[in-house]
Amino acid sequence: MSGEIKRKLDKLIQVVSKGNPILETTTKTKLIIKGLDPDNFDENSEDNAEIIGKINKAADEFNVQL
Amino acid sequence: MAIKFSIAEKMDEKNSVDKICEDIGEINPSLVIFFASSKHDIGLVGNELKNKMNTKVVGCTTSGELASGHMLKESVVAMGFDSETVSNISINNIDVNAISDSKIIEKVKNDIGVEPKQLDPEKHLGMIFIDGMSGKEEVVMDAIGRQFLIPVVGGSAGDDLKFSETYVFDNDNSKKGTAVLTVLEIPHGFDILKTQSFSDTGKKLMPTKVDEPKRQVIEFNNEPALEAYAKTIEKGKEEAKESFMTHPVGLMIGDDPYVRSPQRAEGDTMYFYCQIKEGTELSVLKSEDIVESTREFVNKAEGAKGLINFNCILRTLELEKKNQTQEYADLFVNIPTIGFSTYGEQFIGHINQTSTMVVFK
Repeated sequence: MSGEIKRKLDKLIQVVSKGNPILETTTKTKLIIKGLDPDNFDENSEDNAEIIGKINKAADEFNVQL
Repeated sequence: MAIKFSIAEKMDEKNSVDKICEDIGEINPSLVIFFASSKHDIGLVGNELKNKMNTKVVGCTTSGELASGHMLKESVVAMGFDSETVSNISINNIDVNAISDSKIIEKVKNDIGVEPKQLDPEKHLGMIFIDGMSGKEEVVMDAIGRQFLIPVVGGSAGDDLKFSETYVFDNDNSKKGTAVLTVLEIPHGFDILKTQSFSDTGKKLMPTKVDEPKRQVIEFNNEPALEAYAKTIEKGKEEAKESFMTHPVGLMIGDDPYVRSPQRAEGDTMYFYCQIKEGTELSVLKSEDIVESTREFVNKAEGAKGLINFNCILRTLELEKKNQTQEYADLFVNIPTIGFSTYGEQFIGHINQTSTMVVFK
């Protein structure tokens, strides 16, 4: 399976930023600092349980349901 | 709308407070921010300022102070803001060893009337001062990043290069092991500038074995860290150790490096001034002229009513080495400015060898 990482990261940024470009950049930066660079993944990126776990943890911290 | 600043150069606490009150008291500040050399008792300075001007006061100790046209030592600098410039102030004292998200949320809600996540990122700013010897900046910024969507900028307190004890002042007490997060509403708006005076060499290092809490990199590229670093900058290991200040590494966010500076090597293990994430590619950076690269940024702040500059101590040391301190201070001569030489800078996360600035429009 592939694409789950990209889908989750995009959704997380979208929900937190609510379309505000400043918040979009800030949220993306926070994720990169946590080691989750959205630009490193696309629809073809293989689903990796460890990375998905990190994204779910970040989502919990932001209080976002993915 | 009024912002005033004051310089109390090489005075004792009492005379510093008198000078600051004389310089900024007339605007009846709703907030005073001060930065003081570690030779001062900042609890005394902070409480005296608070009592004499009947205002809120936050500050911290430094490794050198900055003000428009001045780079100072053993001094106190302060900036006062009237209620038209900053309002709805929430001062949060954070124990860096026991961070309570719920305590921060409640305090902000009580002080400002909304939860941290509902603050407007164009009108609200978080300004943070952290105990610079705590080594907890990442933990603190991570916690704040969870609860706040507004920009948070600041610096790690210094102690005049003694690397022993640093203090922050939270409107009541001078404390170690603490961060002070001041949330402000700035109705006329603000900008944040971040400049690090480094360019990307295009050379990459991948941390493959790290001890994150200890800010330690054991391996880059699956090789002993110092060996891989030295190879990448095309130097021998001993020579590479001398290049830490001019060739730090950066986490690239677009074209913008978030600098991670090597502190020292023990054997082949490298210690940094901030945490490095395993598996996150880093770029090797090359230093540029600090004065010239900062000038470009300060030009963007032309006409600003005030500026606070959190300038890394490593940048200050480089300016001193090159006899450029006056040239650097003069960049800010036309903008009311205060700042200090920090043990680390904060903007979204914890960074090194950077200057983060708040510009009041």
